[in-house]
Amino acid sequence: MIARAGNWAMRAAPWLAAIAVNWIAPDYMSLAASVLTMGLFALSLDLALGHAGIVTLGHGAFYGVGAYAAGIFAIHVWADPLAGLAAATLVAGLVGAVTGALILDTSGLTLMMLTLAIASMIAEFANSARDLTGGDDGLTGIRPSPVLGLFRFDLWGHTAYLYTLAVVFVWTMIAWRILGSPFGHSLDGVRQNAARMRAIGAPVRMRLIAAYALSAAMAGTAGALGAQATKTVSLASLGVLTSGTVLMVAVLGGMRRRWGAYLGALVYVVGQNFAAEIDPFRWMLVIGLMMIAVVMFFENGLAGLVDLLDRRARPSTGGGK
Amino acid sequence: MSVLSLLTILLDGLAFGMALFVISVGLTITLGLMRVVNLAHGAFAMIGGYAGSVALANGAGFALAILIAALAAGGAGLAAERLLFRPLYSRGDLPQALMTFGLTFVVIATLTILFGTAIRIMPLPPSLAGLVDIGFRAYPAYRLFLIAAGALLALLLWLVIDRTMFGARLRAAVDNPRMCRAIGIDVDAIFATTFAAGCALAGIGAVLGAQLMPLEPYYALRYLVLFLIVVGIGGTGDFRGSLVASLVLGLIDTVGKYFLPGASSYIFFAAVIGLLLWRPRGLVPGPSQ
Amino acid sequence: MTTKLRNLGVAVAMATALAAGAVSAETVKVGVIATSSGPFARWGEQFQQAIQVYQKIHGDTVNGTKIEIVYRDDGGPDPARVKQLAEGLILRDRVKFLAGFVFTPNALAVADLVTESKTPTVIFNAATAVVVRKSPYFVRTSHTIPQVAKPIAEWAYANGIKRVVTAVSDYAPGFDAEQTFARQFKAAGGEVLDSIRIPLSATDFSPFFERIGQMKPDALFIFGPGGPPTVGMINTWASRLKPAGIKLLCTAETQEIDLPKIGPAALGVVSAFHYTETVDNPLNKALWKNLTEMFGPKTTPDLASVGAYDGMELIYRAVEKFGPNVTGDQAISLWKGIAFDSPRGPFAIDPVTRDMVENIYLRKVEERDGKLVNVNFQTFPMVKDPWKEWNPE
Repeated sequence: MIARAGNWAMRAAPWLAAIAVNWIAPDYMSLAASVLTMGLFALSLDLALGHAGIVTLGHGAFYGVGAYAAGIFAIHVWADPLAGLAAATLVAGLVGAVTGALILDTSGLTLMMLTLAIASMIAEFANSARDLTGGDDGLTGIRPSPVLGLFRFDLWGHTAYLYTLAVVFVWTMIAWRILGSPFGHSLDGVRQNAARMRAIGAPVRMRLIAAYALSAAMAGTAGALGAQATKTVSLASLGVLTSGTVLMVAVLGGMRRRWGAYLGALVYVVGQNFAAEIDPFRWMLVIGLMMIAVVMFFENGLAGLVDLLDRRARPSTGGGK
Repeated sequence: MSVLSLLTILLDGLAFGMALFVISVGLTITLGLMRVVNLAHGAFAMIGGYAGSVALANGAGFALAILIAALAAGGAGLAAERLLFRPLYSRGDLPQALMTFGLTFVVIATLTILFGTAIRIMPLPPSLAGLVDIGFRAYPAYRLFLIAAGALLALLLWLVIDRTMFGARLRAAVDNPRMCRAIGIDVDAIFATTFAAGCALAGIGAVLGAQLMPLEPYYALRYLVLFLIVVGIGGTGDFRGSLVASLVLGLIDTVGKYFLPGASSYIFFAAVIGLLLWRPRGLVPGPSQ
Repeated sequence: MTTKLRNLGVAVAMATALAAGAVSAETVKVGVIATSSGPFARWGEQFQQAIQVYQKIHGDTVNGTKIEIVYRDDGGPDPARVKQLAEGLILRDRVKFLAGFVFTPNALAVADLVTESKTPTVIFNAATAVVVRKSPYFVRTSHTIPQVAKPIAEWAYANGIKRVVTAVSDYAPGFDAEQTFARQFKAAGGEVLDSIRIPLSATDFSPFFERIGQMKPDALFIFGPGGPPTVGMINTWASRLKPAGIKLLCTAETQEIDLPKIGPAALGVVSAFHYTETVDNPLNKALWKNLTEMFGPKTTPDLASVGAYDGMELIYRAVEKFGPNVTGDQAISLWKGIAFDSPRGPFAIDPVTRDMVENIYLRKVEERDGKLVNVNFQTFPMVKDPWKEWNPE
């Protein structure tokens, strides 16, 4: 009984802390919102890569598609942020499903190349469709209306932060539920041994496409949150560097770990922010060295380090071997 | 559209294809042959290229600069193989991809701190800088030189890998390292040598291709997709795939740019996706996977 | 009604914040957001050096008010990060002025923010014509692409060039350059044979230029971002089109700082631009002299230096007139219609558009003392941005 209550408190504590940030650090609202958005984006990658084992170098495409979809929807259709979020999630999920169906027969290096090539094509399209996307100037003029018609996006970013937190909370709960379900466990099975899963009659390809589309939809939501909070979208959001960054964040935090994505995002985004004020090149050096160190010595990322420090911590629901 | 302009386009395509082969030839060794997901190929190329450009700036000749580039990149490759790559050979694609991505960041940051962000000047020797009369027109000597250099490198690889004992051992070591160890082949030494050779070739490629892909700190990321695509389409396990892939992509890209300049980048990526889906194991698949 | 009330609330919050900022009395902070890392890091460096030269010449205090510069790095075109940095500067660091902005998307990203906080913002570069319209608190000290692309088209037609091909990098500034050039050139009576858009990722330009060569135009007009694409385009022109007598026209591509990378291929290229490093006036000489003294003999002023230098002049004048508690509206009202001498020549801010009015110089690349430089041969005096006449608000 006590153990269960303690466990529940362990799970709730980070969320309560995230809510408290609204009052503890009122000067850092947009930074805090970026941490959450990046965390959600990394969680989406963890779903595709960590659990389903789809090695992708083009996940930024879905983040960017979501961001542009939300921006274009807000400008041309309806400025309501939740409707924009839904539209972006749907569009990104759809793009994920279609491209997934096209490429998920392949694996390894070929798959990596295909994800890269598709992301490059989407970026090329966004660049040339200037009337729709603003091209290289970026998409501006996004003015989301008040959330639920009540809460205006204020200059200080409190609304944007709490709104982001609520959306991130809902998506995270959905993700954890899915990963704990039979479907989630079957993804781990596909990653570890696709041939065996096929042998026991699991529809491996359909499962992979479903996981990829779900992951794309989640990345699209993250992109939409970013677009609504900053009111702009740039071509960089679709770029190779976005894909690389999210890969780094996910691995840094620790894949298949309950809080891994958010831990990675916290360290990366906050670190980068302060480095921008001090010395950006040494930050690049630091993040590069951190990546190497994580791969060589801490396979489970920061979450794994936390485990080492606290042996009592339990492995996450969907993870592990 | 005359026959002569068609010939020019074909020649342009051939030269660009060879340029692709030359800059990614090192990766056909490390990724193609050894199957290490080496996203740091461009980083090793830059180490060589920067060393070469420093040599040129200090009065070295072009040939000496190429040699210095090969030594610098090869040396860096040897050190990295011992410290970073060897523990990862058995750990699969993802850890290798991540470690090499991190390594690329480290090299970019270091070179920027040392040399700044400007493009490195890599002047050609006078004999390569001008135009040559090739019968039906004057054509840049440098592009003819690229075609020759690419062909020479391909021939060299074929001789070493397919025609020497070292090549046979290497192919065996990649396919079945345990068996090789059992029969007394020093697999570690073979891998170290081969990896360093791949990196040295990366450095050579950086100097040779610098007129089309100028060296600056973001070289390693800017052209990463290009390097990977060449080897990915070619197929791992056999360097000949990369040669075929380079030439095919070079021709498609050049013809696309000439006839439909507005759609040229779509044509390139559509060709890449089409080729990958048509031959997922590469244009010239290796013996075993 | 509720929205109005909330707006009022925000205004009160802002006023309190600004009042709190004023407590630190005799210091005015200027937030400079620029690119100091990544492939475009040179911009941030040039800005910073020019600002330091300005402060060395004019001192770091105006009428007893100290001017403190707070630098922030945006790493390149990244509007999301820029918006975050700008929020931090306005809300936490309580800066009175924002400045910098290399890239158009970065400037556009702060438009709503500075309008809401009434922060006077001096754009040192961001050359897309529309930018300044996006906030009443924007002014600009660089140039717009139409402002330089129109004069070169005028000059070309007047000097025997009747048939032209345009080849621009496939991105927004490239389209602006292409459209401005074609509009002016056709209006003058010239013929544009083809308009080619080159992907930003292109490394081999030969097929494009081979196609251009077969159309046998009198000249080729190009526009590309600095760095590898520009170097590639000019080199390919030199080896394929120059021997056939096809002239090359451009704008920013032959900046002094890129010339050594392009090499002798650049000889004879004609460009139109608002600043030429060899312009002969005392302010320019002082700028160059101080730059080389402070940062080494190889330092060269360029459009980034002059944009930052004149931007500082605007900020100093606002503080000089209104003191440390200068408001956004005061600064903007002073800047509208202001005119002064700049290292580039005469400089003014248009009272209506808040954009710069300046000389546009036609230059040719020549070799002087073994060094490639741009040399002016004709001046279009006090040119306004034509885009705003063509696209009235």
